[in-house]
Amino acid sequence: MKPAAPRLKLAAVVLVLVAAHFALRPRLFPSRFAPDFVLVALLFFAIRSRPGAGAVAGFLVGLLTDAVAPTTFGATAIALTIVGYAAGWLKAVVFADNLLVTAVFVFAASWVRDLLELVASNALRSGSLGTQLLLQSPASALSTAAAAVVALLLFRGWLRSAPAL
Amino acid sequence: MTIGAERYGTRADTVVFLVCLVLSLVALALPEALRTPLAAGLRRTVLLPAVAVESQAASSREHRQNILALRAQRDSLALAATQVPELQAENAQLRALLQLRGRLATGFVTAEVLHQAGLTDGLTLLLSAGRDEGIVPLSPVVSPNGLLGMVMAVDVHTSVVMAWTHPDFRVSAMVRGGKIFGVVASRRGETAGEVMELRGVAYRDSLPPGTPVVTSGLGGVFPRGIPLGTVQGMLSESAGWERTYLLRPAAHPAQASHVLVLSASVAGEEMEPAFDTMPGRSDTATAEAPSVRR
Repeated sequence: MKPAAPRLKLAAVVLVLVAAHFALRPRLFPSRFAPDFVLVALLFFAIRSRPGAGAVAGFLVGLLTDAVAPTTFGATAIALTIVGYAAGWLKAVVFADNLLVTAVFVFAASWVRDLLELVASNALRSGSLGTQLLLQSPASALSTAAAAVVALLLFRGWLRSAPAL
Repeated sequence: MTIGAERYGTRADTVVFLVCLVLSLVALALPEALRTPLAAGLRRTVLLPAVAVESQAASSREHRQNILALRAQRDSLALAATQVPELQAENAQLRALLQLRGRLATGFVTAEVLHQAGLTDGLTLLLSAGRDEGIVPLSPVVSPNGLLGMVMAVDVHTSVVMAWTHPDFRVSAMVRGGKIFGVVASRRGETAGEVMELRGVAYRDSLPPGTPVVTSGLGGVFPRGIPLGTVQGMLSESAGWERTYLLRPAAHPAQASHVLVLSASVAGEEMEPAFDTMPGRSDTATAEAPSVRR
């Protein structure tokens, strides 16, 4: 097998997840707690990359996300830069093809992303911050984690062979 | 399998991370004049295919829902077919009584709301219609239940709406009948973004719970008479000066899937009759205004 093939497989999985985010998500899921396929793609990439690559990917994804919801332009970029870097750094302790560990990892990343974005944007305060972080963010993180598990089940063979970038 | 246990971050990774972090902070600190064109540029270029796919997906979902609704309506209509002449006559009488002039027959553009995954969805909304569909900045955006916000940026086929939940949003408001005026904004604090507050009501005026509040038309952006919400109670008062009231919103941006963007041609019109006859209007909003004490 050529060395580039596993990377292409990882890229294909990422592309499928990004396509699902824009094509599948609006058709099937209610908006508020819909799974964030782009975050799953970012984490799948970051966990198989160097921390620097994860940070760059997080920054770019965050910037593009901010562009379609420009309430606080830059807040998502900050959050995803940190999440991408941390995912790349934490890969040493993450069993990337274990379903339970992946679900917990994605759940935690989604919740931390929300926390960082809230802090960076300063869009919500006091009581609503608690509601967001204790009720809405966990629900959203749960659906994202479920999506990650399904994606891992579907593409486990391809992702297992993906090397570090 | 443990992936890359031997590959902790190097100094180069840390530098890259810090550069990305600084760039993110710079983006966050950009002034509005730079931030808006930058975001619009990304939407027009890199994000154009993604937004187009998402727009198509949203339309597809809506069409599917419409088909189900149409089937139900068709079945109901088949049953009610025998009563059509009577219904037509009754309808004509009601139209005459209400003096409905079909104010929304023209002067608006329909659009789907492309909800995003981020936390700020609901503060701003991305719509599937833009400049080519006739949308211009500052256009009011409404749902059948009431005001949702106004257009803040327009691209070729998309536009960004500042919803009333946005911290910077303000609209001049009045109690139905135009006797009492104030300014409506989203409620900041414990219930931020979920409810509104009506500020600047003169101290001599007291609004009982259930009083409908609509746009006043002052300022020339929002037409007069678009429902905003109903009074839930008084929040605060500055003795001898003004009162602030809590409002339950007529329409919530996070729940909107399909909206109407009003054109500038209707900015000076009275919209109240149109909303009185729209389907799906909440009971609280259509209810007769309780008496207002002055």
